[in-house]
Amino acid sequence: MAQPADQAQGAQPKRPDPLDRVYTWPHFLIVEFIGLMVFVVLLFLVSVLLKAPLLDLAQPEYTPNPAKAPWYFLSLQELLLHMHPSLAGVIVPGAVLLLIAAIPYFDKDERGTGVWFTTRMGVDIYRYSFIYTTIWVTALVLFDEFVGTKPVLRLLGLPDSAVEFLGNIVIPVIVMLTVFLLLAWLVKRRWPNADRRHVFIAMFTVYVASFIVLTIIGSFFRGESMYLVWPWELTHPH
Amino acid sequence: MAGNGEAKGSQQTGLFDRVWSWLKSTELFRSIYQNDYPRDRRTRVMVLTNNLFLHLHPNLVTRYSIDYRYTWGLGGLSLATFIILALTGAFLMFYYVPAVPDAYFSIRAFDTDVALGQFFRNLHRWAAHTMVIVVMLHMFRVFYTGSYKGPRKFNWVIGVFLYMLTLLMSFTGYLLPWDQLAYWAITVGVNIGGAVPFVGDQVRRILLAGFDITGATLVRWYTLHVIFLPLIAFWMMLLHFYRVRKDGFSATKPIPIEDHPILGKVKE
Ligand code: HEM
Repeated sequence: MAQPADQAQGAQPKRPDPLDRVYTWPHFLIVEFIGLMVFVVLLFLVSVLLKAPLLDLAQPEYTPNPAKAPWYFLSLQELLLHMHPSLAGVIVPGAVLLLIAAIPYFDKDERGTGVWFTTRMGVDIYRYSFIYTTIWVTALVLFDEFVGTKPVLRLLGLPDSAVEFLGNIVIPVIVMLTVFLLLAWLVKRRWPNADRRHVFIAMFTVYVASFIVLTIIGSFFRGESMYLVWPWELTHPH
Repeated sequence: MAGNGEAKGSQQTGLFDRVWSWLKSTELFRSIYQNDYPRDRRTRVMVLTNNLFLHLHPNLVTRYSIDYRYTWGLGGLSLATFIILALTGAFLMFYYVPAVPDAYFSIRAFDTDVALGQFFRNLHRWAAHTMVIVVMLHMFRVFYTGSYKGPRKFNWVIGVFLYMLTLLMSFTGYLLPWDQLAYWAITVGVNIGGAVPFVGDQVRRILLAGFDITGATLVRWYTLHVIFLPLIAFWMMLLHFYRVRKDGFSATKPIPIEDHPILGKVKE
């Protein structure tokens, strides 16, 4: 043990600290403080340079075209174009939130806690899943825009009610589950060592990537009457 | 400055030093700031325990916590945006009138007639969007570092509630300017969320305080936006921070499976 006088001068005790800790003041607080200052300065700069929009007074009789939800709900608005409203607006987001909340109760192996992506394999699985999801989501949106399930079902000569039920509910549910479960299977096949944590990395990435891709499509590729357009063809809502 | 002045002890001569040490000896100063400038073990600990806000931290942190590439500070920045929003929001409340069509004109006047009004409205708006992004990124960080495991299970669940509250706070605020953007974005949003099976109509009626978006909707959402949701969110944040301390922050020496994929070898 160091003498009390040495300790009072800031000397560290001789016995090694098993957790390898340092004083919060100043070592941690300085990092926190600099981060906070950079962040606040950036926010202030943005607020000096960019005006928050304020359009005309609300006119309930006059619907702008297109009418879009706030950006963080655009992924749900996009789903709405492809399936039954209850599915897109309530059941899918509700199920996703429940699944996310339940993650810790199914993935309990504490090895690798505090390490980004757990292992090198985790990084590969994350990249693979991100690309996999991006391709699927883009392809499905394009398919529904230019072909669609309902015309195909009508070609088969099904009655309208069956077309609605299959096209709005059954097929979307099957497709979403397939995208999700197929990935788990592919990951297990490609990385035989992948344990539950690594499969969860793949599945959570489906959520991350589809949120990002759908939000980008909704913000930059949906124009008049929510038809697909290129970003440079976007017109102001009118 | 404070540190230097004191270190010279009795040899100090400069005017600043003399005024400073007089100030520090006053009863008023000592009642506010209870310890010397933190320079040694004792005062470094005291400065944390004596200050309510710093007291959110432990006295010691692991070396891993100091690497900003671990959390990118995202949890702390979520809190920072929340505080900025509470302060700028209170300023907006001085002038905002939750009525149709006064709401719109009060916002417009806030931009043009109030000193720094435009700036503070911009700040409130951009901080709100930023908070949604930062909270999501924080959630992604916690997931990809596996920090939801073991004792932190329930704090992850609290986090999911905070995520929903963040979205709701932003969404209820979206209607308040009562311009075309607000009105129709909320119309679309309520149609998305109102598609609840079986009780959809009832849910829509509760959300809208009627069948359409009217002045009654505005009052309802205003109340949720400025009091109800922030109070719940604040309370949940206290729980969240308490649990981060109690469960132990995840940045300890990892139980390795392999070497660290991003930062190189796991530090020994
Ligand atoms: C308003 C929103 C939130 C605030 C202000 C907040 C704040 C914080 C802070 C300050 C920390 C300390 C470590 C760090 O900075 O990363 C933390 C840790 C944590 N947060 Fe959040 N958080 C919020 C939302 C969330 C969400 C949405 C989740 C997950 C769904 C979450 C889950 C966690 C967990 C599990 C920890 C412990 C992590 C560890 O020990 O490494 N939080 N939070």
